[in-house]
Amino acid sequence: MIKNKIKLSTLLTLAICLLIVLILPTKMSSYTMRVVNNALIFGIVSYGLSIMLGMGGQISFAGLTFMGGGAFAAANLCSGRWGFWLDPVLAIFVSAVLMAILALVIGMIILKLNGSFFTFATIALVQVTYTFFVNYKPLFGGAGGITNIAQMKIFGIEFGNNYFTWFYFLAIVVAIVAFFVERVRQTELGRSLAFIRDNDTAALTFGINVYRTKVIAFTISGFLGGLGGALYALQMRFVGADMFTYERSTLFIIMTMVGGVNSSIGVLVGSLIITVLPELLRNVPGIDRYLQLSYGLLVIVMMVFMPMGIAGMFNALKKNIKIKVASRKTSKNLNEVKEASK
Amino acid sequence: MGINAVEFEVNEVTFNTILSMLVNGTAFGMVYALMAMGIILLVRAIGVLNFAQGDFFMLGAYIALGYLVDLELPLPIMIPVALLTYALIALIFMICVYWPLREASYPAAIVIATIGTSYVIKELVQIIWGSLPRPMPPLLSNPETGGAKLLTIGTAKLSWQMIITMLVGAAAIILVFILFEKLYAGRMMEAAAQDKYVAELLGIPTIITVAATYIISITLASIGGFLMAPMLTVNVTLGTLQLRAFAGVVIGGMGNIKGAIIGALFIGLLESFSSVWFGAYKDAVVFSVLLLFLVFRPQGLFGTKIKDKA
Repeated sequence: MIKNKIKLSTLLTLAICLLIVLILPTKMSSYTMRVVNNALIFGIVSYGLSIMLGMGGQISFAGLTFMGGGAFAAANLCSGRWGFWLDPVLAIFVSAVLMAILALVIGMIILKLNGSFFTFATIALVQVTYTFFVNYKPLFGGAGGITNIAQMKIFGIEFGNNYFTWFYFLAIVVAIVAFFVERVRQTELGRSLAFIRDNDTAALTFGINVYRTKVIAFTISGFLGGLGGALYALQMRFVGADMFTYERSTLFIIMTMVGGVNSSIGVLVGSLIITVLPELLRNVPGIDRYLQLSYGLLVIVMMVFMPMGIAGMFNALKKNIKIKVASRKTSKNLNEVKEASK
Repeated sequence: MGINAVEFEVNEVTFNTILSMLVNGTAFGMVYALMAMGIILLVRAIGVLNFAQGDFFMLGAYIALGYLVDLELPLPIMIPVALLTYALIALIFMICVYWPLREASYPAAIVIATIGTSYVIKELVQIIWGSLPRPMPPLLSNPETGGAKLLTIGTAKLSWQMIITMLVGAAAIILVFILFEKLYAGRMMEAAAQDKYVAELLGIPTIITVAATYIISITLASIGGFLMAPMLTVNVTLGTLQLRAFAGVVIGGMGNIKGAIIGALFIGLLESFSSVWFGAYKDAVVFSVLLLFLVFRPQGLFGTKIKDKA
């Protein structure tokens, strides 16, 4: 019974998503399509953050570092800077795996630290990598970034600058990632992470290897960061260091929080809201600043009223209604019992 | 960012360069120390890591700019007015971001709310003052050239602004120490920070001590911004300087005010010297040192054991 219900709601969400994927491109210009694509890519990176932050309760600024690493790795592999061109799909895969390995190594070192010390370490990481991205020309192209990235090609379909093809491709990738994250949430790893978030000492006494669980989560977030970065590089066909500053990484945390840090759909909604809304309202003069301002306010208000984001609010609402319905039922039953006893 | 704005004329390391690097580093370190102290005070008192500290630093610079340049208030009037404004902003921050969240079930919520605050301040400042960087006149200017007044020691030329920054920073630090070590009010705050429940039993109004902590913390950061503004142009990215204060906090040992001050001064000097020897990579040097500290000595220079309230 319960299983059926869950399936129904999941099916409904899937159907709505499919509908959006089919309808959206017909209403969009090429430019807005590209913005939406970026939002999807940011969504992939945000999924990595949501595994660390939502499931594990660890504030990590490092998602952007791995995104930057992935972007520059893919850019190097696909721009012929080293005298060879790798197949774009292979390059994406290689970059993501590279970032996963990097995240594993870094995670093994810095996840020995707890709470805010870990957060400091990720901030330091962002600063160090950003400095290298800006200054180290041989690998990262210096201030000018890397241009001339080869165009995306998969199964013989050339993407070129056709952002509609990109959209369908990214929608599939995001769907796979979302499915994967949803699976993680329901496996032992996800539950261990939630336990660690709620009380790490208790998790330890229950025999959960806290350190190893966190390292695995960090590695996954590194992989997703690298994947997002590589896709970003190939879609924009240009990578610059400006994308990967500390300020940007706070924006990613906001993206993850706005939609609902613990919901696969919520994370996507958050990145769509934050990335696409400013573009849609671009023609209204002066609204941009106020929009940005409202994001900050929104985050504060949300932390006060619904710390688990929009999706968390829906869940809480559902729970409330259920409790009300249930209590009404029980009170009805009670009345019946009372009347019967009379 | 940071010391980049202070130009060195160095080709070889001479006494002059070492002296000016020392003064630069100490002045910047002092400002980082003001921010770091604020961070530590908040972490100790309520366990909140404030990610908006750097933005209050930036806001302090903008408010000083607003009073001095836009409204053209004379300095003796402007300073108390600015200090009052800083305190008022601290109270608003506390009421909006700490008070509704003090019993939040999700512990990261309040920290993320400060990230949101940082965003709000950045955008608000750009709405009010525009997004172009603005120059701020130095507190002591040379009447002949109109530039910053310089102090000449031997052949070295030092900016008075740097020296004022060092002196005011040191004075503020000493005042905070007097408050906590010598005054009854400070001891009350200390007690409330260490054990809120027992402090309440003793009749200490913890709400007032928390408010006082907020005022001190934010005002210290804002004063730092005010002092630093003439040396850098006033712009939104000033907020990132808080990362150096964080570095100072960690290096000094989390939860230890003295350690944080020494750590912040160390970061200032390290930044100053590495800007000469490592050029554009100075940030990488500073934060690599932070990473090394985190990996090999997370309790910092002066911490005895790791305590993590935030």
